[in-house]
Amino acid sequence: MTDAAASLPADGMAGSAANGDDERLAYRSIFQRLFIRPEVGAVIGAIGVWTFFWAVSGTFGTAGGSWGWIDIVASSLGIMAVAVSVLMIGGEFDLSSGAMTGATAMLTVFIVKETGELGGLGLPMSVSLLLGLAVALGIGWLNGTMVERTGQPSFIITLATFFSLKGLKLGLANRFVGQIQVASTEEASDYDFWRPIFAGEWERNTHQLEARDFFYTSLPLLGFTILVLAVAELWFARRSTPNTAGMIQFLVGLAFGVAGVGLMHGTDGTGGNVLSAAVITVGVLIGLHGYCQWRFEPLVDRGTIQFDATLRNRLALGIVLVVIGGAVAMVIDSSSEAQFVFPFTVQGIRAIVSVGLMVTGLGLLAMVSQAALSINAATKFVVTTALASGVLLVAAVVFLDSESAKFRASLFTILLAGALIVFAWGLVVSRFEERRFVDRGADRSGYIMMIVGVLSILAGIAFRLLFVTEAELLADIPPTKTSVRVLWFLAFTSVMVWMLARTKFGGWTFAVGGNKEAARQVGVPAGRTKTQLFMIVSFAAWLVGVLVAFRINSIQANTGDGKEFEYIIAAVVGGCLLTGGYGSAAGGAIGAMIMAMPLIGISAARWNTDWRFLFLGVILLVAVVSNRYLRLKAEALRR
Amino acid sequence: MSAPLLELEDISKYYGNIIALTDVSTSVNAGEVTCVLGDNGAGKSTFIKILSGVHQPTDGTVRMNGNEVTFTHPRQSLDAGIATVYQDLAMVPLMSVWRNFWMGAEPTKGRWPIQWIDTKKAKAIAKEELSKMGIDIRDTEQPVGTLSGGERQSVAIARAAYFGAKVLILDEPTSALGVKQSGVVLKYIKAARDRGLGVIFITHNPHHAYPVGDRFVILNRGRSMGNFPKEGLSRDELVRMMAGGAELDQLTHELENE
Repeated sequence: MTDAAASLPADGMAGSAANGDDERLAYRSIFQRLFIRPEVGAVIGAIGVWTFFWAVSGTFGTAGGSWGWIDIVASSLGIMAVAVSVLMIGGEFDLSSGAMTGATAMLTVFIVKETGELGGLGLPMSVSLLLGLAVALGIGWLNGTMVERTGQPSFIITLATFFSLKGLKLGLANRFVGQIQVASTEEASDYDFWRPIFAGEWERNTHQLEARDFFYTSLPLLGFTILVLAVAELWFARRSTPNTAGMIQFLVGLAFGVAGVGLMHGTDGTGGNVLSAAVITVGVLIGLHGYCQWRFEPLVDRGTIQFDATLRNRLALGIVLVVIGGAVAMVIDSSSEAQFVFPFTVQGIRAIVSVGLMVTGLGLLAMVSQAALSINAATKFVVTTALASGVLLVAAVVFLDSESAKFRASLFTILLAGALIVFAWGLVVSRFEERRFVDRGADRSGYIMMIVGVLSILAGIAFRLLFVTEAELLADIPPTKTSVRVLWFLAFTSVMVWMLARTKFGGWTFAVGGNKEAARQVGVPAGRTKTQLFMIVSFAAWLVGVLVAFRINSIQANTGDGKEFEYIIAAVVGGCLLTGGYGSAAGGAIGAMIMAMPLIGISAARWNTDWRFLFLGVILLVAVVSNRYLRLKAEALRR
Repeated sequence: MSAPLLELEDISKYYGNIIALTDVSTSVNAGEVTCVLGDNGAGKSTFIKILSGVHQPTDGTVRMNGNEVTFTHPRQSLDAGIATVYQDLAMVPLMSVWRNFWMGAEPTKGRWPIQWIDTKKAKAIAKEELSKMGIDIRDTEQPVGTLSGGERQSVAIARAAYFGAKVLILDEPTSALGVKQSGVVLKYIKAARDRGLGVIFITHNPHHAYPVGDRFVILNRGRSMGNFPKEGLSRDELVRMMAGGAELDQLTHELENE
């Protein structure tokens, strides 16, 4: 090390060196590391929105409801949101993207139909698909080139393209078809060849299969377990020699868990459910504790908590709020309604007030616990136990209070699970040592476990979505169809994620979005990169247009117009920075899911579907604010 | 002694009837630092632009290793091994150090169209090259925006050096920095020199130039005030010449009489 390096400021010094890492690399905890990803806010949001609609509606969580919003994501919103995210990372907008989907859809149908009517020669589908693609890429190239050549903001240039396209669509449709609707591609000679590729649908598998029900319950549970253990692996300090007694305890807990799940599977009554839930809870606590005992260092005590005035006030206020919330729930009389109509009933208001008060109280208690958690083991345990008891109280009130069975059962389940998580958390953090140094080996196994856990959960969900369950067969619910569009969406998203993360072009996308002049100075072909980004969006618009054309067979001239803002919202919700240079393609896809869920969820909850606009607005605002907060936090952490 | 790495003889530049630079001569040897000093409007920018191929000199010759060269495009000058590190550094603040280091020339694996960046190699080389310069980056995944001004400058220098630069032109690298950071950058200039690069250090601060320079060119209103080797030149003389010599005496006189 030269004298130059020795004199560098060594801020960020903390922790010890391991495995040849720079000793000035401060250890970042598992949560800090996760929060520097741009899409993390969107993932949390998606889970939140899903849980909300699952709790308030009867059909949203079923396979049919899921396919409803998945198809919206897959067939239009998702692909475009991913493409628009990539363009936004490159620092540009495309307001013509919505109109372009309609234009390509129309053109594809139009070419086949008109040539058929004019000379009877009826061009095959393949030709119209290729022509549509060429036109779309041409529009993208034009957008990019005009933005580059004129130096004007892409907002203005693509706005011009948007209106031109809109006019062209309406004008041409009126001129040639005499109406603003173009119908039917079925007359094309090779229609039957292309249909399965762009619009293939298959019914969910209904074959009787015992193992299927087993898979879709056990795989997510297994995945979730592995995920929890992965977090522990990344969170706590490893023992040098594993503790055998801990391993036995872990296996006992695992046996309890498996037995509990088996019990729940075999029972229908409330008594059986409660019993199996109790067995699972015991299994989770014993198993988690055993695993930690087996692998991690026991905690070294770090002194006692200083209860200053602020902390005391928060503690008192928290308890008071929880109690008042409970009282509010009990006191006001309830009117009986079969459906929980949110929020304009006495019951709804009461639920909001009581749950709101209690949640605020718990939040205050959580603040107290945060202060207490860095200190004494006993305090940690007391505080988290109190917190878990608070959640349990809320769960009890919800269980006794609400008249809507679905709402009650689901919220109750969520709260019970929440109480269990808080309690288990308190149990392990009060007994085991958090890791405060870099450990590459533990990181690697933790990450691998995390991936295995997520894949296992996804596999379980896929089972649930692709196969009809026995219960559904018995209830005689008409099987929903799944479509090939999902595969297009997954393929496009994967390619874009890979491209951004691993290829030269992906790096250049971030570069031209972050600092175009700088990129140009070091030899990045900035203009060409941006033009290609516009062409990616127009390719996506072509793909979506074709998917639409094959799905509905009859295209309105205004199809897709106005959707461009939804794509931009999805990209921003997914963590893309409006000014470019930061974001992720996967985030755009998740943003699209957050946008699509309310469309199905609101009608599944039997509310007026016009509420969805309010929903979109609120989501956008919350996403922008929270993403900014997360990003600032992430940057502060990297310093 | 063999021919210098880069030699300029009687370089002049006119923009129409405006004389930007007249008869400037100097040279850079490998492993030496030539400082170009001058106040605002002295012709420093024109000097850089001629060497980096943005402008062509109206008169005079540029020689590399004794051969006469003309640069009509920035690319030519780059290809000849003259790298310019501009004041704004050509960095993307939100991107990581290694991405910035490689930007525009990423090493890839695989064949077109399935080509991807060899991230392991890229990170390892970036870290190694930076440590060769004496810059110990904590984590090459760190965004450049979180580095200090001096560290950023050093990444830019290391990048230029790695991509085959023989002559490094630094445009006012210390002007936006505090005292301590400037010291850090001066150390990197020395490190680059010790690696065998010829460095042209453009500055208006003689206190920064004197400790690292082997040769000094002082520009004033487009004229060269001389081309001095370090031997026989004291710091005070340099400061005095830089400040305009007789002109400064005149100015001091005027100010005091008001």
